[in-house]
Order: sequence, then C-alpha cells, then structure tokens
Amino acid sequence: MAEEQKEAKPKKRMTATKAAATIGPMVKEFITGTLQARAEGKQKLAYTFIVCHHEEIFRALDVIPIWTENFAGVCGAKRDAERFLQRAESLGLSRSLCTYALCGIGFDQWREELGQMPPDAPWGGMARPDFMISSGQILCDPRSKWYQASQQFMPDVPIYNIDLPYPLFQRNQDHRDVWEYYHKYIVKQLRGLVSFIEEQTKKKMDYDRLRELVDLSDRTWNLIEETYDLRKAVPCPMGTGDAMNTMVPINFMMATQKAYDFFLDLKKELEEKIAKGEGEVEDEKYRLMWGGGLPAWYALNDFNYFNSKGASFPVETTYRMVAPLHQMDLPETKDPIEHLAWRWLGYWTFWYDRAKKRPDSEPDVERLINRIEEYKIDGVVMHEAFSCRTWHVGLIWQLHHLAKIYKPIPLYVVGKDGRKEKVYRELPSLILESDIIDMTSYSELDTRNKIDAFIETLESVRMNKAA
Amino acid sequence: MTKVVILNQGVIASVIGPTGPEQRRLANKVMEEALNKASLSFSQITYIVSTGYGRINVPFSDKQFTEITCHAKGIIHLFPKARTVIDIGGQDVKGIKIDGSGKILDFVMNDKCAAGSGRFIEVIADTLGVSLDRVGELSLRSRSPAKISNICTIWAQQEVASSLAEGVAVEDLLAGVHQSLAERIVRMVSRLKVEPSVIVTGGGGMNRGLIKALSEQLGQAILVPEAPLLTGALGAALMGKEIVEKARKSHTVLETRERILEEIEVL
Repeated sequence: MAEEQKEAKPKKRMTATKAAATIGPMVKEFITGTLQARAEGKQKLAYTFIVCHHEEIFRALDVIPIWTENFAGVCGAKRDAERFLQRAESLGLSRSLCTYALCGIGFDQWREELGQMPPDAPWGGMARPDFMISSGQILCDPRSKWYQASQQFMPDVPIYNIDLPYPLFQRNQDHRDVWEYYHKYIVKQLRGLVSFIEEQTKKKMDYDRLRELVDLSDRTWNLIEETYDLRKAVPCPMGTGDAMNTMVPINFMMATQKAYDFFLDLKKELEEKIAKGEGEVEDEKYRLMWGGGLPAWYALNDFNYFNSKGASFPVETTYRMVAPLHQMDLPETKDPIEHLAWRWLGYWTFWYDRAKKRPDSEPDVERLINRIEEYKIDGVVMHEAFSCRTWHVGLIWQLHHLAKIYKPIPLYVVGKDGRKEKVYRELPSLILESDIIDMTSYSELDTRNKIDAFIETLESVRMNKAA
Repeated sequence: MTKVVILNQGVIASVIGPTGPEQRRLANKVMEEALNKASLSFSQITYIVSTGYGRINVPFSDKQFTEITCHAKGIIHLFPKARTVIDIGGQDVKGIKIDGSGKILDFVMNDKCAAGSGRFIEVIADTLGVSLDRVGELSLRSRSPAKISNICTIWAQQEVASSLAEGVAVEDLLAGVHQSLAERIVRMVSRLKVEPSVIVTGGGGMNRGLIKALSEQLGQAILVPEAPLLTGALGAALMGKEIVEKARKSHTVLETRERILEEIEVL
C-alpha cells in the first residue's frame, strides 16, 4: 500500500512575529505530553473538539484534552495525512467526507490494529483516549459522527455527547426572547458532562477551581481581543499566516496560564513592532481579509507568497473564536457552569443586533463588513475546502451577500450621456479551492496563478480609484 | 499553444506555435519565427511581456502578467464595449468582468477539472474520430442534441462511445457535448453577474457549436474576435506598449533582458 510513503517535507513558512514561531514547538510539546501522560496513566485523556466552551471543565477535573482536529491539522501541515486518508478510504469511507475525520479515523484504526502507534506517526502520534466527548452542535456533523466511527475500533472507549445549540438569526425576533430556554438546556448539558467526567475520573468537581479557570479564560478572551485589535495598525504587524499559528492557544490551550501569558507576550511584541513601524510586509501595498474557510494546512506558504506581492492579512474570521465579553451584556451569575452557557450564547449571537441595524445584513456578513472597515481592507480571500461542507456552503453565500449589500469602492465611469458618473462597486474577492489536509486537491501553480491575477485586480482597482 | 504578437502602431506579426514540455526552447523558436515574419532583429524589440501558465518560462521576457490581465487588455482593445470576457482554453476556462478601460473588476477560473475546459471537447472529438476544426460546424446540424449526463471527462468519453454504438448520430453527440460544457461555463461565470457585451476568446471561440450553446444558455449575444487564440498575446503586447509609453513620458530607463535567442538544452 502507498500509505507507508510520506510526502516531501514542506518548505518552512516564515512568521512575522517571534510569538508565532514558538507555536510549532508548543504543539509538539503538547502532543508528546499527551503520550507521556498515557504512558504514566495518572491522568485521564479525552478526545474532543474545539469551540465547545468546555475546556474549563476538563482542566478543573485534571483531564487532558486530545484535540483530534488539531492532530489531523498537524498531519496536514507535515504533509503526512495521505496515508491515513487512504486507510480510511480502504475502510469504505468516501474522500468527500470531512478529511479531518477521515484522517483521525484512519489513524485510530491503524493504531488499534497494530496495538501501537503507526510507523513514523507525526510527532509520536495521537494517544489512545480514555473517553471521547463529541458535540452535537450546529457547527458541523462530524462532531457527533466521527467518534462513533472511531468507536468501532475502540469499543471499550465510551462517548459522551454534549449538545450546544444557539438561537438562529431572525431579523424580526429578538434572540433574547428565547435564549433563556437555550441557556437552561446548555447548562443541563454541561452539568451532564461534569457528572460523566466525575464518573470517569472518580473525582469530584471543585467549583472554586472551575470558577478560577473560567475567570482566567474570560481574561484571556479580552486580552486576545485587545491583542488582535493591534493588527489594525498600518502597516499591519502580524498577518493571518501567523494567526494560523496563534490560533493554537485560542483553541487548544484556553483556561491555562500559558495561553494568557502567550498573549501578553504577543501583545507586547506587536506594540513594539507598531512603535517601530514594522509591518508583516516590508512595503505594505494591500490589506486583505481572510474571510473564512479553514486553511490548506500543507500550503501555509501561500501566505508568504501573498506577502511577497506586498499583501498583508491584518484580519481573519477563521479561528478568532472569541469576542469582547464586555460588549455582550451577559446576565450576571456566580455559577461558573451558568456563565459558560451564557458565554456560549453571547459568542454566537454577538453580531445579531448589529446585523439588524443594516438593511438586508446577516450576522456573518455584518462581521465581514465590520472587519473590512475597522482593518481598512482592500480585498477578501476565502478558502473553499471541499471536504468541509458545513462551512463552505455558507462562505460562498456570505461572499455573494456581501457583494449585494456592501459596495464601498467609488469608481468613475462614463455614463449614457457621455458624462462622468460616480458609481460604487463591491470589494474584490478571491476564492481559493482545495482542502484542509487532502493535498490531492491542491495545485500550487494554479493557486499562485489565481493569487497573481487577484493582485493584478487589486492593482487595477487602485488605479481606477486614483483616476 | 505558444503565441507571439509583435506590436508597433498596430500588429506587425503574429505566430501560433505548439507548446509541450519544452516550453523554454519553444518560446525561443516561436519568437524567432515571429521576428522573421516581421523582418525584425531581436534587438529592435523594445519591451517583451509574457503571459499564460508558462509566463515564467519565457527566458527573454522583461515582465510577466497573468492571462486574466492580458485577455482583458486585448479584448477591450478589440471590443471597447466588452464587459464580460470568457476565455475557453485547453487547460482551463476563465470568466473576467472588466470596466470600460479594460481594468479587471472580478474573475473566476476553473482550473480543477478537464470537464470544464476545451480539453473536454478535444477528448470527445478524438473518441468520435472527428477533427477538432469540424466539431463546431458538425454539431450545428443536430436536430436532437444528446444528453451527456457524466461530468467527468473520462466517463463522458465512455458515455459518448456507448451512445455512438447505440446509433446516436455524431452531430447530436457533439451538440450534447457543447451543451454540457456550456452549462458548466455558464454556472461558473454566473458568479460574475454577466453583463454585455460578452466576448468569448481562446480556442473555444473558434467552435461555432459551442458559441451557439453558450449564447442560448446565457441569453446573450456573444462576440468572438477574428483571431481568438491571439487575444492574450495581444493584451501582453499592449501591456508592454503601455509600460514603454509611460516610461518615455516620465523619462525613466526601462530595464530589459538581453535580447538573445539561445537554443536551450532540454534534458
């Protein structure tokens, strides 16, 4: 089988910040740490997904989370996912399913078949869990199905599912009219998770400790927001390429002092860079927004390619899974579980009120518009990863809707009567097409050809504006 | 294909040659041919712009632009009222939205799948034993275009072969293939909100059957340049001319490569 073959090692991506450069070793340390914990057997390990607002519960009960999406991303970034994808395919699973899930399932099956890690597993491999916490949330379907598939190879490993809904946007309805029902339900779900983990770990939840951890997370949320806001500076001191590294503490290390300290350091570094006028790009010509889509992890060098054309990415919607808490107007509570549930609802409904103020706007589009204006954006780039169905259907819609309701670029054209007329057009956009970790869907030549053409488009828009 | 356009006040020579794996050598060869045709020496060429997928493999080019920019430039020169350009090439299809000065407003590309490009027709024509230059005319004789349901070139090839064996007329199969390709192209360019005038360029522009299918599905009249294979090269030449004129106005000395056409050894 070709699965023994590893892809050529990718060329290392250059980071703009020192902080982002520390992330690779940090992830490696985290993964090897889970393997060590597995060997020592003192702490329980659990498979789970990011963006579930449950890290505090894990950490308060001394459970080590194994972020299965992260491991798949690591395999992708190391260009070593193909053999696990092929293994999942040989189990009868289609390549058009979520390739993170396929990679994880292929890896699990292989590890369980061998009774040890697959040969040359990236960074030592993904440790066998004691239990798996899935999530039946609106975000994506593999979050509830992936672990069910993996359980076929680990029948002794139990799954606990937490359901995390939020009220969908309705222009004529105030989401606060119904969110208490949602809150009650989510609190019940999270308390169920606490009971399940208590049973698995034979420990009782220390609610004072949980409260401290929730407070630490809240402070980290606000700090991240303050740090990322610094990227509004011209030239931009840190781009999306780096943010695809700094997403690690946001998504995998929340409720730890290490994550908080990381952002303290990053904030300081960005402030220093701004004071010196240092940008991600030496001569910043264009400011782009990564408007969504998970990145092609094996092709992060494309961000360097954009940079080489004078394009910087001051902002992205991907992985910025925090919002300023002081702007959320959440009900006060001393119960940390209740607060987690409110924070969850506050995050997902964050753009609802603003979207209602703009005719025809929608929360996701409103977020794009706000970012475009706050970060002085010249163009939007999105990545349509074929295997991430839930996100990417929405992405194309967002882009179309954005073009429909938001036309910020003034242009002068010759009107019907031969006179000069001022018209407004939408922001240029580029859709890159490939996948998160399936390299067979990617062509560097075609991608860079598209990037070149996009840069020429930006240039031509700028010349038009100048004219 | 590798194309060359030499421009002065107007086009003074143009050549269309093959491409293939030896891009660098062929670029030299086609350039030599164009110079001979124009009775010029290489040193008389002021500025050279290359475009297309092989643009970085032209050893003597002074500047490179993508084919998106060059097609837009070439088309607006030929059709001042053009607003939407559809380039149907052998490797890919592109849709380009332009303004009155030929500046790009937006673009889309299909570069993932042969079924959305001219290659689709080439493969089917080969299966049916029809030469490429006859495909368009032949398909116009169809009274009942066949429905090609497969979207993969290889499977569509098998579908066409089996329909042929069942007695479906060649012209109906070709008309069906054109409709199938036109559907895919229209789906893609619809993202751009197509506006008239619509111009089709590239090899697809030479296929009247495909143009008819596209025009029907877009609900728009389609214009085609006299030499649709050359618009990208023409645009590149026009870009070069603009650069030279701008430099002259600002008294800037342009940096150019040495004008040597060398035989490059291909391993």
